[in-house]
Amino acid sequence: MIKKTFKVSDMTCTNCAMKLESLEDMLDGVKEINASYHKLQMVIEYDESKLTDDQIIAAVQKKGYHAVLA
Amino acid sequence: MSSRQQKTTFDPVILVALGIGLITIAVILFAFQNQTDQALAIGIGSGLWGRVTVAFVTGLTTGGLSCLAVQGGLLASSLAHQIEQDYLEQSMQLAKRGNKKSLPQKRSNTALPILLFLIAKLIAYTLLGILLGWLGSFLTLSPLMRAFLMIAIGIFMIGNALRMFNVHPIFRYFSVEPPKFITRYIRRTSKGTDTFTPIFLGALTVFIPCGVTQAMMAAALATGSPLTGAAMMFAFILGTSPVFFIVAYLTTELGSRLEKFFMRFVAVAVLILGLVTLDGGLNVIGSPLSLQNLSRSLIQSESSSSTQTSSSQLADGQLTLNVQNKGYFPQTLRAAANTAFTLNLVTNKTYSCARDFVIPSLNVYKLLPDTGTIQVDIPAQPSGTRMFFTCSMGMYTGMIVFE
Repeated sequence: MIKKTFKVSDMTCTNCAMKLESLEDMLDGVKEINASYHKLQMVIEYDESKLTDDQIIAAVQKKGYHAVLA
Repeated sequence: MSSRQQKTTFDPVILVALGIGLITIAVILFAFQNQTDQALAIGIGSGLWGRVTVAFVTGLTTGGLSCLAVQGGLLASSLAHQIEQDYLEQSMQLAKRGNKKSLPQKRSNTALPILLFLIAKLIAYTLLGILLGWLGSFLTLSPLMRAFLMIAIGIFMIGNALRMFNVHPIFRYFSVEPPKFITRYIRRTSKGTDTFTPIFLGALTVFIPCGVTQAMMAAALATGSPLTGAAMMFAFILGTSPVFFIVAYLTTELGSRLEKFFMRFVAVAVLILGLVTLDGGLNVIGSPLSLQNLSRSLIQSESSSSTQTSSSQLADGQLTLNVQNKGYFPQTLRAAANTAFTLNLVTNKTYSCARDFVIPSLNVYKLLPDTGTIQVDIPAQPSGTRMFFTCSMGMYTGMIVFE
């Protein structure tokens, strides 16, 4: 398991954070996602053998946001 | 032109609202069948049904608008969140398609957050009714505590409006970020629908009751029965709900026509309501910096020689203040400096929150009868003192000038 932080600067409300956290149920290999509108970031704990940074960024993009590795 | 036929659909939320409206009309007709003016008096009526009916009608008439004036800001905050989300989703779809005309207009789903807000409020006040009937006056907030709560809520709303205007990143912290275990629970039960904010804010209204609500709370307290207390509060809040729903829904529907200006429109509304709430809080603590006190002081100092509109008669060491449904008259009283006197508070069929009389600097709080006279002893004050008085929600104000 590895923990990484992504900056998501186009979040505009707390519901955006909730949307990003919903990736927890959608991406295989994710243990936990903590997204914060206040900090405009998303901390994700995942199994790196099952998931890559690019896949995470693509999944975030599908939700309508742009993630950058912090 | 599109040949596709528009399918007629009924929003279940609207149907529920219509149902509430029809029940409301039925109860009004029933309530006013045998009662006229006195239906508005709080606490009259015999038996559980009588009390509940009066509570409902009071909510529907005076309570609805009075509560909307005080708690409308929280409702606006709930809606702002939903509208913001809808607007964003629509903007994202537009950006993806790259063609504005190809996207059908989507209505903002504001009915659901309004209903959630009102249901949460209804439940919270019903629970409060149980507690009031049970625990007596222990739970009553003092005017000062309520004032600080109003100031805090006002600042929260102003900050939230500035966040929506994107003034500075610091204002992001004015947005309530619910605990993770709650968001996780909501996500898994409601599949991403933002239900937390309106529910939370609806329940929060229990801490900022308007004057009429407070009078109803006092009546619930006096019943000494959890069941009757709960029934009264439930009926009263149910009565206030149609006004809340209709005003809020129509306002937002009108706003959705404004499209790109709507976000700013909502932010402006939240900002104004925030300022009003903050001003009310400042009034209740007797701050000379509130808008009403500031303007009154300025006008008073400009026309200090004139006493035509503001003077009152000082006879036998007594001053009289008429407490009416629309406020206090005269709004400015003049009293002799360094002389103690008695202030007569006269009510005559007064049912508004003006009955909850507060003098913050003396820590005086009186719930006046709807008709009658209550006396308050005012100690001697040095010349130039301005003593502010207000209703407990800071809606109606006035001052005594010592000279």
